Amino acid sequence: MADDIRRWSDELARDPSSLVFLQLGESLRRQGQVDIALKIALRGLERHPRNAEAHDLVARIAVDRLDFSRALEEWETVLRLVPDHVGAMKGLGYVHFHQGRFDHAEAYLSQAAAGGAGSDVSNALQTVRRTTGIAPTWTGDRNPLDPQRIFADLLLDDGQTALLLDGSGYVLGGLYLDSMGDDVSQDIGAQLSGISDEVERSMRHLDIGSWRSIIFETHAAVVAMAPAADESLVVVAASRSTPLGLLRRLLDRCAERAGGWLDGGRRP
Amino acid sequence: MSPFTSMLESLTRQRGVRASLIVSENDGLIVDSNLRFGQDGDRIAALAASMYRKARLSAGAARLGAVSFLQLDAERGRICAVGGRSDLVIVVVADPAANVGLIRVELFRALESLE
Repeated sequence: MADDIRRWSDELARDPSSLVFLQLGESLRRQGQVDIALKIALRGLERHPRNAEAHDLVARIAVDRLDFSRALEEWETVLRLVPDHVGAMKGLGYVHFHQGRFDHAEAYLSQAAAGGAGSDVSNALQTVRRTTGIAPTWTGDRNPLDPQRIFADLLLDDGQTALLLDGSGYVLGGLYLDSMGDDVSQDIGAQLSGISDEVERSMRHLDIGSWRSIIFETHAAVVAMAPAADESLVVVAASRSTPLGLLRRLLDRCAERAGGWLDGGRRP
Repeated sequence: MSPFTSMLESLTRQRGVRASLIVSENDGLIVDSNLRFGQDGDRIAALAASMYRKARLSAGAARLGAVSFLQLDAERGRICAVGGRSDLVIVVVADPAANVGLIRVELFRALESLE
């Protein structure tokens, strides 16, 4: 992969009008180097403004950066250029789902499925159809029908997402879709399993009291987590542009919601 | 004197910083440290390395890119850590009232010199 990136970079340096920026940008994106990928993609787009794949690449990078407005614009442009572009339909389905516009999401994903998209689109479509019809806002109901939606009304920004994990890392509520629209909640839970217990044990020996939160920054997002009721863990992610103070408030509100939900809705 | 001594001393001189360490993320062992008497460096190192690894793996699962900065807040203190391309993580333990923004800047500056 590193060799390919070097080769494509050299080729692009030799010939700035080359379409190799599409492969280079995608590889960098997959490696998590989203800022560099975006620069490459935007430079390519300047030279090839009517290239649908260039707009598609910018859209996918925008999703990785949790910039859903930009992704929406770019994929709409792709469909204006190539009306049967399955990748753009799938991407628009994902963004509309993420923003709570389930009818739009279903329409785009249905078009993508009809256009020959794979099983991942069928699974996404099933998720949308399961979710459709469930009230999108918290009504005080102590036993909401869909645990995936328990934080839905607290998430203000397009890029925000929240999960509730039990002490073993199993998902209790919330939902995390990655930039390809796949549900990665269980994977995140598995990687974070035991963190609460481990931190708790260490805190006893470090003389700094009980832990309140852990925040980490990545190239694309800020992730915060806090202990909640019943040894559970609330995990919230937002775009890098989200002020940390706002993220903390969101984390507190999600932890409070999780406590109420566990208390009323799930305890026997 | 190790190659990291002056960097760690500089970090520990920051207001509110109680300890600074360089830790291997892979095994949680201390590479070098600047601790006060009685501080449990081994435990801090093990915890910081484990948290950083879990953060990196969960960020990988969510396709969020590489982890650059981690902060744990507790009632009477906080732990901040930065990591880069190698498996070394720079860690500081600070008071709750310490200026995290400043500590963060100094940690990234230290990371640059480490790489």
